[in-house]
Amino acid sequence: MAALQTDVLVIGGGSTGAGVARDAAMRGLGTVLVERRDLADGTTGRFHGLLHSGGRYVVKDPPAARECVPENAILRRIAADCIEDTGGLFVTTPPDDPAYAEQFLAGCRATGVPVEELPVGEALQREPRLNPRISRAFLVPDAAIDPWKTVWACARSAQAYGARILTYHRVVDLVRSGDRVVGARLANDLTGEEVGVEAAVVVNASGAWAGQIARMAGCDVEIQPGKGIMIAMNHRLVQTVINRCKMPADGDILVPIRTVSVIGTTDVRVPDPDEAPVTQGEVEQMLDEGEVLVPGFRRARALRVWAGVRPLFQETKPGLVSDTRDVSRSHTLLDHARRDGVEGLLTITGGKTTTFRLMAEVTVDAVCEHLGVKRPCRTHEESLPGSQDGGHYWLGARLASREPVPRSEQIVCECELITRRKLEEAIDRRRTVNLDDIRRTLRLGMGPCQGGFCIYRATGILHARHGVDAETANGSLLSFLQERWKGVHPILYGDQLRQAHLDDWIFQGVLNVRELAR
Amino acid sequence: MTYDAVVVGIGVAGLTAALRLAEHGRRVLVVAKGVGSTHLAPGRLDILGYAAGGQRIERPAAALGAFLAERPDHPYARVGARTLSESAEWFRARLGYVGSADENFLLPTALGAVKPTAVVPPSAVGGDLRTGGRFLIVGLQGLKDFFPALCAANLQNAAPVRARAVELHPPLGGEHDVNGLGFAGRFEDEPFREAVVRELRITFAPGERVGFPAVLGLREAEGVWRELEERVRTRVFEIPTLPPSVPGIRMFESLRSALRAAGARIVVGDAVVRARTSGRRVEAVVAEAAGRTVEYSGESFVLATGGFASGGLELGSDGAARETVLGLPIAGLPPHGERFSPEYLGVQPFARAGLAVDERLRPLGEDGNVAYENLYAAGATLGGAEPWREASGEGISVATGFAAAEAIVQSTAR
Ligand SMILES: Cc1cc2nc3c(=O)[nH]c(=O)nc-3n(C[C@H](O)[C@H](O)[C@H](O)COP(=O)(O)OP(=O)(O)OC[C@H]3O[C@@H](n4cnc5c(N)ncnc54)[C@H](O)[C@@H]3O)c2cc1C
Repeated sequence: MAALQTDVLVIGGGSTGAGVARDAAMRGLGTVLVERRDLADGTTGRFHGLLHSGGRYVVKDPPAARECVPENAILRRIAADCIEDTGGLFVTTPPDDPAYAEQFLAGCRATGVPVEELPVGEALQREPRLNPRISRAFLVPDAAIDPWKTVWACARSAQAYGARILTYHRVVDLVRSGDRVVGARLANDLTGEEVGVEAAVVVNASGAWAGQIARMAGCDVEIQPGKGIMIAMNHRLVQTVINRCKMPADGDILVPIRTVSVIGTTDVRVPDPDEAPVTQGEVEQMLDEGEVLVPGFRRARALRVWAGVRPLFQETKPGLVSDTRDVSRSHTLLDHARRDGVEGLLTITGGKTTTFRLMAEVTVDAVCEHLGVKRPCRTHEESLPGSQDGGHYWLGARLASREPVPRSEQIVCECELITRRKLEEAIDRRRTVNLDDIRRTLRLGMGPCQGGFCIYRATGILHARHGVDAETANGSLLSFLQERWKGVHPILYGDQLRQAHLDDWIFQGVLNVRELAR
Repeated sequence: MTYDAVVVGIGVAGLTAALRLAEHGRRVLVVAKGVGSTHLAPGRLDILGYAAGGQRIERPAAALGAFLAERPDHPYARVGARTLSESAEWFRARLGYVGSADENFLLPTALGAVKPTAVVPPSAVGGDLRTGGRFLIVGLQGLKDFFPALCAANLQNAAPVRARAVELHPPLGGEHDVNGLGFAGRFEDEPFREAVVRELRITFAPGERVGFPAVLGLREAEGVWRELEERVRTRVFEIPTLPPSVPGIRMFESLRSALRAAGARIVVGDAVVRARTSGRRVEAVVAEAAGRTVEYSGESFVLATGGFASGGLELGSDGAARETVLGLPIAGLPPHGERFSPEYLGVQPFARAGLAVDERLRPLGEDGNVAYENLYAAGATLGGAEPWREASGEGISVATGFAAAEAIVQSTAR
């Protein structure tokens, strides 16, 4: 068994874990981050993509809104390239209680969320597809944030400060010595190899799985997974994030992201974070709500549906509620020494991607306290790799970068404008044979055709790379097709059904992949 | 004017029905919104490649009885074994293809998977894997839709053959991204072919059969392929790859010229949106194009508008399905929420949804009776089949297009 030693072991490669690893490494602590799958393959890669202005919370949860305001501004600065500055609108549609608008305005003023009321005509000019019967519109600094870029940028920054990032390493057990957690046992799910890590402090940043990890140390943390579904529609129905101006509920936000727009979401308790199936009822609900925001919504193509899982923490230990160091209602930091008498273990869970940096800061503050060191947080001062020039991502960026040399390179994925060279670089850099990893890295196959054309090509290119045999390439293709089907079959109707049939034509009719699955 | 027959749709089913009717001397109009699956598919006739249980089939005609015993609602059960074989033979002769419903070739796909197929162009036959042998799979730099090394590696695992790969560097005049059609045009240039052959000769080992992606010319394809065989002095064959399908377009052009030569009128670009009916007869179909409405009237009508893929059938976001021209009911539709299996390659209950027809291929209405006495349906609009699992799509289109034409000829005998 291979063994590692470190100051801080971070469990979970979502936005929280990546943020903690970066912060710890920047403060000079030896850091190891472990993730059972790929980075941002948990809730962070399945969220709604909204960098909150705070507007959503101004009435229902003002402290959460107050947290979003500075974090939104900080991320716009340090993670500029991961963010598209779409702006956000809160609009009062016919079914919404018109009285909420005044509460909303007052809430924005009280919590510091910058807001400006737009005349309805101006809002409609800005977003012509919007329901023309809206009665009020408010502009806020919502934006779209790319989870994969953000998490990878944090990871790369952490690495630059000496951290080690181990993906596809699953924590199978925490190691205790007396009343102290001293490390963890990991399984490399790609090679089957076992790895041991000794750590002075273990940070459990495993989101909806945090209860499972805490239990390994004998601590009882009650996490209720709450599933939310989202549907990507085949183009940018809107260019601005659109929120319904009403008490937060289901299906009330439409976020433009890259080449698509995403409607969401729901909130349904599920027993197991790894089992979050999409139901027909939820799909219908999203389409109906979409219709309220953008009339004709049901006639647009639904590209893909997926579910993310929120960790809902409930303190079940009587009398201990005050000891949970509840920084705010939006996230929870548990110090298991105080709570359970188990030293060396912290759990950080809940929150939002918008506030991940803040969550990391308070967590690493607690880590430093445990280690008896005093080092200030600097994550708000230093830009992430790729964001140093401060320019935001914009929709035409990939096209612009290709325009000077239009025909000099092969385009592998026409929807997302990915060149062959970019794909080869990503395969080599990621040292992966998993096309789904590449999808998350480059957005390969995430556009309107959902991989119909590019995935055969990517399979061929993967196979041509050093040391990848045909069986591995076939397996990667088949699992990509299966993963894609999971997100497609619950929303097959209309033109998207036709698109799916075109893809069947390619994979089953022309290529006969079925024979490879035998 | 009133046509003897109006065929809606210009996929394989519509082309077959129209050409057969024209061959019988009928005045035929083909009206279509656009071209069909011919431009996507490999341009070959898959009749029956897999049994209901998934086993590969070597002899489709012989296997049909057992297959239909398990699939009584299959379109093949409507047309019968004889018409199936006759239609395949007619299709073969019309296109100058090779094969029959009696036996499947076993051909490589661009992934190097094997594919059982019954009737194919001569330029495909050299790829038959049943007899073993040594293969050289040739890639073309600049063509991103064919990966020879993956194809060769998979072939070795799938069939008792030896296969290796080579990538050639044909002169592309500085371009780096040329699709199959672009290559097909270039292969019609003598200097381009010369450069390919010269490079190929260096790596080619005697006794190897040489597989190219199916881009060896469009209009002059037959000549291009024969010349390559002569100059390399071995069997050369084509492997179909991603759309646009060069062999599919060749097949389409060939059938369309035959149709024109037989005197049929062809209108592509008009979308038939409804029909004018009177009692149990269709009087005319109504098409929309460029803001105007046109009526086409006829004695008989063939719906060859394709399935859910082509817009002949439609599934709404509310889960309701219908046929798009006459609003005919869809048979075999599983309940909303149970239509698709979560396993991509599993049995998909939805696949078998489509029109139900009588033994003369006339669609049934809500009441279970023939909806219109002069309306016939052919191809993917029909329910009861799982074309992907069975590898039966083109076979169904040709057999039912052929049978619909026969049914019209019989009922309107002159
Ligand atoms: C439907 C939905 C929509 C949302 N939309 C937004 C939004 O628009 N804007 C916003 O700011 N926030 C949004 N959120 C909230 C946000 O997505 C989450 O707060 C955030 O992603 C949580 O990140 P995390 O790192 O804590 O958890 P995760 O991203 O889930 O990371 C936890 C990681 O731990 C790993 N793990 C689990 N078990 C183990 C183990 N044994 N060993 C190793 N690793 C393990 C998991 O694989 C996972 O990758 C949304 C949440 C949901 C559910």
